[in-house]
Amino acid sequence: MIISLTGIPMMRRWTEMKNLIDLSGRRILVVGSSSGIGKRTAITLSELNAKLVLAAIDEDGVKQTLTELFGDGHAAYYLDVSKLDELDGFVGEIVEKHGALDGFVYSAGLGTAMPLAMSKPEKVLNTFNVNFFGFFEMVRQICRKGRYNPGLRIVGVSSCASLRGDKSKAIYSSTKSAMDSAVRCIAKEMADKGICINTVAPAMTATELYNKFVEKYGEDSNTNRELTSRQYLGIAQTQDIANAIAFLISPAARFITGITLPVDGGLTTC
Amino acid sequence: MTDQEKIAMLEETWELDEGTLTADSALADIDEYDSMAKLSLIVLMDDEFGVKLTGEVIKGFETVGDILKLMNK
Repeated sequence: MIISLTGIPMMRRWTEMKNLIDLSGRRILVVGSSSGIGKRTAITLSELNAKLVLAAIDEDGVKQTLTELFGDGHAAYYLDVSKLDELDGFVGEIVEKHGALDGFVYSAGLGTAMPLAMSKPEKVLNTFNVNFFGFFEMVRQICRKGRYNPGLRIVGVSSCASLRGDKSKAIYSSTKSAMDSAVRCIAKEMADKGICINTVAPAMTATELYNKFVEKYGEDSNTNRELTSRQYLGIAQTQDIANAIAFLISPAARFITGITLPVDGGLTTC
Repeated sequence: MTDQEKIAMLEETWELDEGTLTADSALADIDEYDSMAKLSLIVLMDDEFGVKLTGEVIKGFETVGDILKLMNK
């Protein structure tokens, strides 16, 4: 038996090592899990032993994500979050089939880029429906008695766009700021029920959205160079965001609620 | 919609005076044809003509006439 400098036997110290983010026994709903950050988050959470309920508007995509999860006991559903009057029924159905929830991740969103002059009310409403109203209504439905277990944790995927202004982003930024603002209030209101809620604010992440950005502006464009100079750790990978979500949705983040966590490669600090 | 009406639509979108553009107008000569104007064009083409523009296609536009050709497809 090796005795360490602390006097504690090494064998005992090794067996006491633990996984800080262990989601064993936790049932987590991930909306927007057919691609990008939502998909990577779902896979990561399954690797941490969570049982997943996946939901997305892309039915083929979400079924594909289901096949890539670790472990078993997961399920996938079609869900259009813009149909706000159907969300009550959806949450009720999955709770009935799979049990009360321990976690909820909202990763559905439209990356609307539109000059002010083109931002007609129907376009504003369309983006708000998916990016904010859908999130808000899902949270409202999940936080009803009987639908969640003690210690429910919720994470919304916001954006650094909620923290910074940029041309053509008034609609998108507004929806993400709305999410962050709502979370600050809901966190306080739901604290007595043991519910914690936070958002993560990714900077530009290597998803289909970024591919479209590069396609639109060009990889060698001033716009892309300006972006990569601001987020000086480079373009985020979906795993970077998934890791932050996994932490916030775990019991390890017990004392964190109501925050927006930038996952931004330095963007919001410079 | 006539070509003249489509040109008027572009003038309105880019906040140019009526009569500024013709089909032969070179986009490189239009000061207002910046990144925001291109973004507005993307939205306009999608909303009004059902055409999805990519960065590569936009790079290939040299004149207003090139845009009209896509509008007329």
